[in-house]
Amino acid sequence: MIDQRDIPVVQTAGLCKTFKDFWRRPRVEAVKDLNLEIAPGEIFGLLGPNGSGKTTTIKMLLGLLHATRGRISVFGRSPSDVSVKARIGFLPEESYLYRFLVAHETLDYYGRLFRLPARIRRDRADRLLDMVGLRHEAKRPLGEYSKGMARRIGLAQALINDPEFLILDEPTSGLDPIGARQIKDLIRDLGRKGKTILLSSHVLSDVEDVCDRVTILYGGQQQAVGDIDDLLAKRDVTQIKAHDLSEDTVAQIRDLVKRLEAKDILEVSNPRERLEEFFLQIVEEAQAAKIVTSGARAGTELPEFLQQPTARTEDVVGELVTAAKLTRNVEKLAPAPLAPDDQSTRKVLTDLLRSDEQTAPAPTAAPTGPSPSPGPACEPKAGDAGVIDALIDHTERPTKADDED
Amino acid sequence: MQVWAVARQMISEGIRMKLALVFLMLIALVVLGLPFSVVGDSSLTGAVQSFMSYGLTASAVLLGMLTVFMSRSLSDEFVHRQIYITLTKPIPRWQFILGKWLGITSLNAVFLITIGLTIYGMVFYIKVTHPPIDKVIDEKELANEVLVARHAIRAQLPDFRKPAEEAYERNREQGKYNNVPNFDPEREIADLASKFGARWRLVAPREYRDFTFKNVLCDRSPDHYIQVRYKTDVTNYPPDEILRAMWRIGDPYKDTAVYDIPVRHVVGRYQTIRVPADAVAEDHTLSVRFSNENPFAGEKQYFNIMEFRPGSDVEVLFVVGSFEGNLLRLMTLIMCKLMFLAAVAVFMATMFSFPVACLTSFTVYILAGTRTFLFDSLDFASNDTATMFSSVKEFLVQTITHMFTMIGWVIPDFGRYDAVENLVNGRNVSLVWVLQGIGDLAILKTAIVLGLAMLLFYRREVAEVSV
Repeated sequence: MIDQRDIPVVQTAGLCKTFKDFWRRPRVEAVKDLNLEIAPGEIFGLLGPNGSGKTTTIKMLLGLLHATRGRISVFGRSPSDVSVKARIGFLPEESYLYRFLVAHETLDYYGRLFRLPARIRRDRADRLLDMVGLRHEAKRPLGEYSKGMARRIGLAQALINDPEFLILDEPTSGLDPIGARQIKDLIRDLGRKGKTILLSSHVLSDVEDVCDRVTILYGGQQQAVGDIDDLLAKRDVTQIKAHDLSEDTVAQIRDLVKRLEAKDILEVSNPRERLEEFFLQIVEEAQAAKIVTSGARAGTELPEFLQQPTARTEDVVGELVTAAKLTRNVEKLAPAPLAPDDQSTRKVLTDLLRSDEQTAPAPTAAPTGPSPSPGPACEPKAGDAGVIDALIDHTERPTKADDED
Repeated sequence: MQVWAVARQMISEGIRMKLALVFLMLIALVVLGLPFSVVGDSSLTGAVQSFMSYGLTASAVLLGMLTVFMSRSLSDEFVHRQIYITLTKPIPRWQFILGKWLGITSLNAVFLITIGLTIYGMVFYIKVTHPPIDKVIDEKELANEVLVARHAIRAQLPDFRKPAEEAYERNREQGKYNNVPNFDPEREIADLASKFGARWRLVAPREYRDFTFKNVLCDRSPDHYIQVRYKTDVTNYPPDEILRAMWRIGDPYKDTAVYDIPVRHVVGRYQTIRVPADAVAEDHTLSVRFSNENPFAGEKQYFNIMEFRPGSDVEVLFVVGSFEGNLLRLMTLIMCKLMFLAAVAVFMATMFSFPVACLTSFTVYILAGTRTFLFDSLDFASNDTATMFSSVKEFLVQTITHMFTMIGWVIPDFGRYDAVENLVNGRNVSLVWVLQGIGDLAILKTAIVLGLAMLLFYRREVAEVSV
């Protein structure tokens, strides 16, 4: 018997889609020879400029369009198979919802299509509306919603069935930075719960923040595919982050690098805070001050029913979810920087320490990082040890914090 | 459950559609406004009959239009792309189509029940408020001839074929047809039979005609009644426009009660005679004799030939049910038509944009409603003896006829199930008729059209080109 975990959630081989005109003459070749494989539990990014075939690919995955050539399967079956659709959640590029229904009715309708019992439909609708911050607007017809609010209710409908596979087409389109951040947090959270997510977006930072793997389409053809870290890693550059260093320390490090590696440090600067984070901080302060708004409110954490690990990938994600504790703390949910190779970093820094111990004068600046812990191979001077440990800690911290989210 | 989910959504939309509201207001205007504007022939019966006739016909037509317009919900699913989300949920496409149809049908059922109850209430409102000519007679007439379900049996006329054949033989022996070009003996016999029939329908002064009715399956006890309905025309209108004659109802040879009924009434209008049901024989036959003689001594009867014209045959009627049951069965027949129309509208909406779907659905509606008339017109326009290629006109007429015949396999004849006149005249809308309507319209034809819609929708790419 085939283990469900062995079956890719999405698999396409030589997939083509040609749109024809009224006389059945080929007009546009929207997708050409696409080979795609998305593993269970993966957050996969579908990138490409307008008209690159992203949405056409998604529509074929959903059975809304038929492939002209090639094979396509979702959970090992045809996309038009109803049993497949029971496991999918879909947020389209625009909110194609019934304008005359109110939020509760909308979620109830889609819940019924999944044959959810009434109690569960009510419960999930309430929780999802809380999650997307629309509980207070639940009695308004969707026709009165702003674009962002409509996106939020669109997201809620996509999650009503607790899907194993979530397809999000431009999920942050039309959302304010808070909404966009919440969506990204949600994607990450769902990913940790073992959900498979296909994210199509023009907003590259969104994809970079949340995706494990991406593929880039252009002209309907796959141009690149792979792990996002592999694709983006700059192998010839090393980045070291530390709390504020004195000019003297920087000069010493610069000398040290020159001496050991015979290379110049390219740039030493104080990074700016990202506008997104600054904005979120201001809004959080306004929310804390209870300033009235008619728009969407701050959403809550992932509803309980979505926190359950996906059954078929439970053991895969088990470790990931063990320490998971949901929180809306924006600092904790700051996008994780690209994780450097910890071992190599540690080695370089230890080497730095060693050489520093032998040659460098004692530093005058007081350490600004946390208390240093003694290294295994030497006893560095207090100042240097503090700086270096701080560098290591800070390099590791985001990854750790991310795990604790 | 999923079908019902789509149906519920359709109902929600239908209720909130401003278009539906407008149509319902129009129907309300017709149903509630008619009693104040329609008087009929000034009698209470006439007022009720006119109200029911106009009210029911207008309501059925408006509901038919509303049904077509409600299919916009499905067209809108494509235009506003809600279908992109709905069809990514685990609902089979055929259930989605069925759900839409069920939603429209459920709305129609609710609207129709409301209209039926309103019409029923308004009938009694008219009964109470209509200015009476003679209150007792008015109400009795209304109760006996309108607010009742009566079964009607037409008189069996003599067989004129045999005398026609005899006459034909005589004429042939006399050589009357020797020089007639393109002579058709069968046609001649039919013509002669028609002439004998026409002669039989004329009743000269002091002549009489016997009418026999079979299968008068009524309760024959004397406290039950039967009705004989007839209309008599005259060759020349008498100055007073009054007809005086005598009816004898019953058969002394079969040991039934016999009733002599002298009648005096206006010429050329339907009249009803009410007699006890013991005039019906044990074998459920009824004998009726009409005599062109004046039974009213002292009243002048102008010499005249009376005529029972074809199409206004003498009938015997007896009560088989209530007005309420009749109204319910009529509403069921209207519902069957609406069910078929909803299927057509859904079918068209799965293929075309709303304006085209609307136009084609209305075309089907009109074709179904006027099918009999169209076939009769085409039949009239076509020469029976001409071939298809005799002339351009014949080619066109016969081509259209063949086309309509083929369409007729799917498009039903709504006229066949039009029971408004029956209800208005207090005739029974029989259960068999209703079952035929259900079988033909609501089940067979609707299933064919919905099946086609499901088949087409199953393979359709619902998403549009967006590259």
